[in-house]
Amino acid sequence: MQTAPVPSDFETRTNATYDALMWALSRPGLIRDLPAPGVEGVIDALIDRECAVHAGTPDLCAYAAQTGAAIVPLAKADHVILPDAQTPAMLRDLRQGSDMHPEDGATLILIATLGTGQALRLTGPGVDGHIDVRVDGLTDGFWQMRRDVMRYPMGFEIFLIDGSRVMGLPRSTTVEVL
Amino acid sequence: MTQSGQYNFAYLDEQTKRMIRRALLKGLAIPGYQVPFASREMPMPYGWGTGGVQVTAACLVPEDCLKVIDQGADDTTNAVSIRKFFQRTAGVDVTEQTTASTVIQTRHRIPETPLREGQILVYQVPIPEPLRFIEPRETETRKMHALAEYGLMHVKLYEDIARHGAISTAYAYPVSVEGRYVMDPSPIPKFDNPKMEMAGIQLFGAGREQRIYALPPYTRVVSLDFEDYPFDPMRAEHPCDMCGAEDTYLDEVIIDDAGGRMFVCSDTDHCTARRAAGHRGRLAATEDAA
Repeated sequence: MQTAPVPSDFETRTNATYDALMWALSRPGLIRDLPAPGVEGVIDALIDRECAVHAGTPDLCAYAAQTGAAIVPLAKADHVILPDAQTPAMLRDLRQGSDMHPEDGATLILIATLGTGQALRLTGPGVDGHIDVRVDGLTDGFWQMRRDVMRYPMGFEIFLIDGSRVMGLPRSTTVEVL
Repeated sequence: MTQSGQYNFAYLDEQTKRMIRRALLKGLAIPGYQVPFASREMPMPYGWGTGGVQVTAACLVPEDCLKVIDQGADDTTNAVSIRKFFQRTAGVDVTEQTTASTVIQTRHRIPETPLREGQILVYQVPIPEPLRFIEPRETETRKMHALAEYGLMHVKLYEDIARHGAISTAYAYPVSVEGRYVMDPSPIPKFDNPKMEMAGIQLFGAGREQRIYALPPYTRVVSLDFEDYPFDPMRAEHPCDMCGAEDTYLDEVIIDDAGGRMFVCSDTDHCTARRAAGHRGRLAATEDAA
């Protein structure tokens, strides 16, 4: 008897969300489309009971908690979800992993505005030469702080979410403020 | 939830897929670094590509068109069974054409046709640790990677030169990724090493060893060598006997009991496409007559 896969809506959506996140992180600066707007879809795609999450609002906390993830302080979280970047000093507290286990660095999911605002030049793996992008909605000194606190291969990944659009910035990307 | 008798899309359950996906994202963010992951039992033995299958299962979307190759060929046992596995459990389209595919799972070759943007190449990896045959302890190799302490690898290549007059490593030739991590490109022939700087995503899955690593597109991948013994992507000094190509990786095939032999492209899709375009090698005419 031949059996066939029966994908549920949830599964199809998280599958498409992951596909967008993977390509966003593989090609920093190129904007991908998520199947649904907002960070909730990203939570569905990435987070489950194996994760430790810090979220910036009670609503997001509750949403992340229903996946089974532990809600922890910022410095202990492997996934950090914030509606805004607050002060750049918060980047200093993010988990960055260790030289032995750099993969323990956090994934930071931020709501921002893509296509307007501060001009940035990205270089690094996944970028063909260089690419110029514009990002708005982050606090002054964010990119400077990101550069100051990370020592590759330790570091953290950033997903910038603008509605149903996403841009990925892995730790390997060099961000130059223009 | 799926009912009994039904598969989840692409076989793996959602929890497992999320775990693999998180590992893949960290792998892509730290090119060449081996991310540990909780490799699952798959309905095939270790050594048959369980790592690659898990990575492919975590990345496939229903719109994908899958190609599977084993040593460049689409019609070998390993390739056929993995292709059928995903046809049944994911219901995706399959193809033998490199250009028509969006995801390619490979065992030990990179297709001759350059990959374009949007394509994903998934490698099956037996031993992900390039330093393993030099230092058997995982605790030590992890330290060596952390310190970027790769002197021993150059000593190994030097010993090749001292013994054989050249670097004799012909496959699984170590590469340096973005000047940081030394990485095992899986047992591809060193002929394929220069192709690793490509426009597609490269994902590596080692099921038995429970490691995932990755290369985003446009990542600098340099084969280790010495100034006076530069890297040489060795190639048999023959044209393909079927399609006449002089720039492809060749298999040597014994064709009779008298020591007769032929050289033929290892990439069957590339060779077939060239013959369809009218290219003919030394022995192609006899094949057409037969």
